[in-house]
Order: sequence, then structure tokens, then C-alpha cells
Amino acid sequence: MEFLLENILNLVGFLVGLAIGLMSYIGFRNTGSPTLFRLTIAFVSISLGFFVIWSGYMVEDFIIKSGSIERWIQTVGIVIQTVGYFFIAFSHSIKSFFPKSNYFRSVGILPFFLVSTVQLEHIFRSVSFILLVYGAIETMLSYRDNKNKGAISVALGLGLLAFGEFLGWYSFVFPESILYTISMTIKIAGLIALFIPVSKVPLKKIKFDDDLDKI
Amino acid sequence: MGEYRTQMKIIGDILSTTRDDLQDENGATVTYLIRKANISHSRISTLLKTLVSQGLLEQADSQGSNRYKISQSGREFLQAYNSFTKFADNFGLNI
Repeated sequence: MEFLLENILNLVGFLVGLAIGLMSYIGFRNTGSPTLFRLTIAFVSISLGFFVIWSGYMVEDFIIKSGSIERWIQTVGIVIQTVGYFFIAFSHSIKSFFPKSNYFRSVGILPFFLVSTVQLEHIFRSVSFILLVYGAIETMLSYRDNKNKGAISVALGLGLLAFGEFLGWYSFVFPESILYTISMTIKIAGLIALFIPVSKVPLKKIKFDDDLDKI
Repeated sequence: MGEYRTQMKIIGDILSTTRDDLQDENGATVTYLIRKANISHSRISTLLKTLVSQGLLEQADSQGSNRYKISQSGREFLQAYNSFTKFADNFGLNI
């Protein structure tokens, strides 16, 4: 059951991320907007992260058949997704995310050489959680200004992804419990909520025009 | 305090004015665009040159002054701009 849900989640995540990433890219090509460029990187990364994990499950299911996915594949997928979540948060102007001091920068890199892939996975899950919560709050706040109902759905989607990420991270305390399955279900709901308003944007008559991307 | 507008938003405002809010069929004068798009003369001059060179605006000399009308490419750009403004709004972002 867990294996199936994990497969569905990663496939849905890959497709939703790819769809939003492609729409952002078309928008970037048509308008040259840096915001849409950042959204393109964000959603292509999220999509790629889900794809890596999904591929890991597929390889495990059909070729290796050991009963569990290789831990490093899961970690690589989560790291790539975290890059995507960072770019969503970055689009909301995180300007002081990285410390300015060279000393703190070097110290900040140090843990990556001291921890195992299991610990790395937890670190990146918690970073994803923080970035997703930040993105959800900023998107919700933007609703006050633009009264766009789609923003509520996106904020809800990011919030559900954050909650799912939190439960996924917390489930390592209770490895065999239902927590992980709930986490997967919540994350799938979050991805769907994210896609609903985006799917309503009319794109029928928009086409690529190479001359416009110099603006 | 006025709302901060990105360069993209200002371009959108200029193109919207030249599409929907023209003084007459000859096009809009620079003075009219400055008033409607709420932008300084020096900044609009640079933007107008860029928009004309990119083929989004058409420039015509009428009654001794330059007038600007939106081109077909400009209409397509404006349509894309409006669609993707809604798209970015969903994420609480400005394009």
C-alpha cells in the first residue's frame, strides 16, 4: 500500500511539476519575465526530483526487487525537490537566506561532510518544510492584495505539501505506522490543489515568438 | 505611497493604453502616454524606443508629433502578459 501510494505520489508530482514548469517556461519565452524564469526552475526541479524517486521505485520494483528503494536515490530526489522549493520561496524575495559572512558560509557547508545520507534526507526534508511554509504564508498574504482566489488554492497546496513533508519526516520516529501513508496522501492532495488554479489560466492563443524574449 | 511597478507592469500599462485607450485613430502622443501610464519622460522615451524596435508598437508622425499605436505583435504580447499575470498572481507573485 505504502509502495503504491509512494509511486502514485511521485508520478503525480512529476506530471504536475512538469505541467506547471512548462507553463512557466512558455510564459517566460513570451514575456521574458524573471519571475516566470524562477518559477520554471522551481517546478522543473520539483518535477525532476519526483521523477528521480519514481524511477528509483520503478527500478526497485522491476529490476532489483529488494523490497525497499535505495536510500541515496531518495535523498538525491529530495535534494532536487528542495532546490525547487527554494526557488518558489526565493521568488517571494528571500534576500537573506544565505549568511553574508564567509565564516558562516563555510560552517554551513560543513554538516554535509559529516552526516550520512539518512541524516541528509532529514535535513533536506526539514529545509523543504520551512521553504514550503514560507511560500504558503507569502502566497496567502498576497491574497490580501490581489483577492485572487487561485492564490488560496496555491497556498493550500503548498501548506499541504509542507504538512505532508513534516509528517513524512516525523514518521521516522514511528517507521511502521500509518503516518507515512497519511503523509503521501496529503502531499498528493497538495499537488492537486496546486494545479487547479494554474489549469484555469487561458493559454490557447499564446504562441512562441523569439523576438519577444529580448524585452 | 504609490504601488511599486515592475518594468514589465509599466510595459503592460503602456501597451494597454495604446490598445484600449487611444486619443484618436492616429495613436497616442508621448504626453498622453506619460499621463496614462504615470511614468517620467526620460523613462518612457527609452521604453518606447525599445518597444518600437521590438515591433510591439508602431510609430507614426502625425501633425508634427510622434504617435504610437499597438502592433499585432504587441497585441499578442499583451495577451500573453495578461494571461501570465493571472498565472503569477496564483503564486502571489508579480511578473
